[in-house]
Amino acid sequence: MNKYEAVIILNPNLSSKADSFLKEFETLLSSNSFKIIKTEDVGRRQLAYSINNHNKGHYLLFNLEGDPSKLIEIENKIKYNESIIRHLFINVKSHNGEDSQLLVESKTKKKDSEVEDISSKVEAKETIETEKKDNKEEDADKMEDKTKTENDSVEVKDE
Amino acid sequence: MSKYSLPKNFDYKDVNILKQFITETGKIIPARVTGVTASNQRKLTKYIKIARFLALIPYTDMHK
Repeated sequence: MNKYEAVIILNPNLSSKADSFLKEFETLLSSNSFKIIKTEDVGRRQLAYSINNHNKGHYLLFNLEGDPSKLIEIENKIKYNESIIRHLFINVKSHNGEDSQLLVESKTKKKDSEVEDISSKVEAKETIETEKKDNKEEDADKMEDKTKTENDSVEVKDE
Repeated sequence: MSKYSLPKNFDYKDVNILKQFITETGKIIPARVTGVTASNQRKLTKYIKIARFLALIPYTDMHK
């Protein structure tokens, strides 16, 4: 028994069918006596470069346990699945139980998109105020990260 | 705090960490520049190459 991490990038046009693919993949794994320890559905993500003319991909991460001889059979079946644009199986010493950075990122992005609408309004107000106050302060604001400017905007409000 | 910071445990999924150790053109920065330990540099190169394959990090800035 070896421990594996699997990353599968699905065709973004079929990401609505990701759930049905997950079930299919799970049955394929279990039929080859693979244990699924954890699955992470990261969702659609921008690719760093285009693969088969796709600019986005639906990422799925798995923590698996199984025999290396069976893994070859699984990979042979995955090769000819057209909904998968890229896949990778990595042998690991131990599984990290924590959520991967990719999943955490995708979760926070969803939250941010909701918050952004509010914060953009606040930032607009802030820039007007700083222009009145001092040019030096404005320069400092530009250097700082977005998160810091958000904090500043809260402070300005309190005053 | 130095420009390049590494946590104890990281892997190919920690894109934000790996991005510190590649240039704008996508090359891996040598350890003599970053001051990373030899063992960490070996891990970094391994993970950067995996992340490139998974399209998390670009191979180059010339991608169309």
